[in-house]
Amino acid sequence: MNRILVVDDEANIRLLYSEELADEGYEVVTAGSTSEAIEKLQTGAFDLAVLDIKLKNESGIDLLQRLVKERHDMPVILCSAFSCYKDDFSAWLADGYVVKSGDLTELKQEIARVLAKKAQRVKAGL
Amino acid sequence: MDWECCWAKEAIAQGDCPYIAENEDDLLVSRQRRILERCCDCHLFKRDLSRFRDSNHPLAPVFSIVYGEYQRQKAQIQSLVSFLDSKTLEVRFLHELGSVLQSSVDLEEVLSVALTAITAGKGFGMNRAFLLMSDKERDHLQGYLAIGPRNLEEASQTWDEIAYHDMDLQTLAQSFRLNKLSSERAKFHDILEQLSVPLSNTENILVKSLNSKRPLLVEDAFHHPDVDPQFARLLGVDNFLLMPLISRNRRVGIIIADNCITHRRITEEDMRSLENFAFPVAFAIERASLYDRLQVELNRATDAGNKLKEQQELIVRMEKMALVGRITSSIAHSIRNPLMVIGGFARSMLKNAPASDPKRDFIESIVGETRQLEGVLDEILNYSDSLFPARDFWDVNHLIESVITDTGDALKAWNCTCRFFATPGLPMVYIDFKQVAYCLRTLIQGDIDNAQDGGTIDIGTSLEEDAVVIRIEDKNLLITQQELDTLLTPFASTQDLGSGFGLAMCRTMMDRQGIPFSAVSLPAGGIMYTIKLPTHKEERS
Repeated sequence: MNRILVVDDEANIRLLYSEELADEGYEVVTAGSTSEAIEKLQTGAFDLAVLDIKLKNESGIDLLQRLVKERHDMPVILCSAFSCYKDDFSAWLADGYVVKSGDLTELKQEIARVLAKKAQRVKAGL
Repeated sequence: MDWECCWAKEAIAQGDCPYIAENEDDLLVSRQRRILERCCDCHLFKRDLSRFRDSNHPLAPVFSIVYGEYQRQKAQIQSLVSFLDSKTLEVRFLHELGSVLQSSVDLEEVLSVALTAITAGKGFGMNRAFLLMSDKERDHLQGYLAIGPRNLEEASQTWDEIAYHDMDLQTLAQSFRLNKLSSERAKFHDILEQLSVPLSNTENILVKSLNSKRPLLVEDAFHHPDVDPQFARLLGVDNFLLMPLISRNRRVGIIIADNCITHRRITEEDMRSLENFAFPVAFAIERASLYDRLQVELNRATDAGNKLKEQQELIVRMEKMALVGRITSSIAHSIRNPLMVIGGFARSMLKNAPASDPKRDFIESIVGETRQLEGVLDEILNYSDSLFPARDFWDVNHLIESVITDTGDALKAWNCTCRFFATPGLPMVYIDFKQVAYCLRTLIQGDIDNAQDGGTIDIGTSLEEDAVVIRIEDKNLLITQQELDTLLTPFASTQDLGSGFGLAMCRTMMDRQGIPFSAVSLPAGGIMYTIKLPTHKEERS
């Protein structure tokens, strides 16, 4: 079972992601801040992280840069209410970008795509 | 002694003096006047005087001396009167000329007056005159205008005509300007073209005269050491006058005047007369030239002022739009998260609710409403994005084709046809591809919505001046220009016309790139959208 870390400062969104992604067969761990995310990351390995960009006074982009540096084997999908970050070069470090929506189909498809790509990479020994 | 002349008689009868006419009866009885006005010039009196001189009278030689001196002084006075008369005429003419020149700031009019004055019989009576103007940019003296006949036949015809109409200088100049200016220019085009001298050529006689600020009377031009033989041949005369036109130490130009038809020798007196004329002419020409330049600068300043005003209006509009954009963007982001939670949980509930659950309809309704609200949010956030265009050169036909392909599903769903009339070989356009593509998609989608079922949308491209123009004709939406203008304004109340937000956003996006965008309600129904895309970088405003 793939293990996913969801980082979002909105408790209801974390709950929604947990429910929906669990229904899809993923094990979901949530965090409401950057520090909590780092703490959770130390508890074990994750196959993928879903990050919000605006985390109260913190930046999901900063966390993304740290994850790329420290956990380069773990893909990251940015999920934000802001579509404009798609054109931000710093956001291009992520493996995927989804604009937040009540319809989680796009997010689920993106998670599946990124995980499949990761599996291919692992299979290829990269 | 018997005298032959009547001077000795106190009174005479009509017919006694051959020099007294019938209407000069007063001279018959006034001996003093008769002697002074008639006898002194009478051949009979001269004979009487000769006889008196021979008479050995002691006063005879004295009288001869006095008489000789009287005649000399009389001739001198007559000469002075004649000179004064000619000067009076000249001063009158210069006054008339000055009045005419002062009343005009039109260069063509001033030149017409000047050249007419030189060649008119009432003026300086020269046969022909050429005007060369200083071209400061090229540092050249260049033939500009000429006046005069080219042969005797033409001269006779012109002079007869002038004599017949008996016009004053102003009328003559006006007539010249209206009827002959262009033809004179054409007539002397060949000579004027060749009358071109670099101002740096200080050995040239024209430049010499101009630099010395003094007129030159050239005699025997074909053998004159300072006259270029080619120049003499071009004029075809051996006697001409060079009159520099100087205004406040500025070298305005030079006039060449000659008598190519009558061959009357030009005198020093002619030269001095023309010298008096040259100063007001030079001043008037310079003033008219400056006025011309002032007009050009004024027009330029007016254009710049208008452009600045447009820019200011655009900036104010953009600032307002940017403020609206920032506010709406902020609100939209605040709404998106709760909306996502509502929609997300509603979908989750719907997924788990059995088909028989009576609450399914309510949940479906929540899902539908949140979806619609998310669509509105997307539009608002796209509007915010429009404030930051990124531009490059793109093929507009390719752009339109890709947009039509993108909207293919919607066209198919509503059974609509999109006809694209592309002009081949168009230059690349300097635009933000994403924004123009979004704008076109919005317009086409709007057309599809208006057509509902089975409509046709026409799109065309063309090259107009330096811009590539896209025209989209929506034949399906029937609204007035006022309603259309409302649609172009963000957040205006357009409930009966649809949200209308897309059109306002298109206009904002185009405005930000300085791309003219217009939507016109057609008289026969429908709307014509016109987008004028620049082909050069500098066209961005």
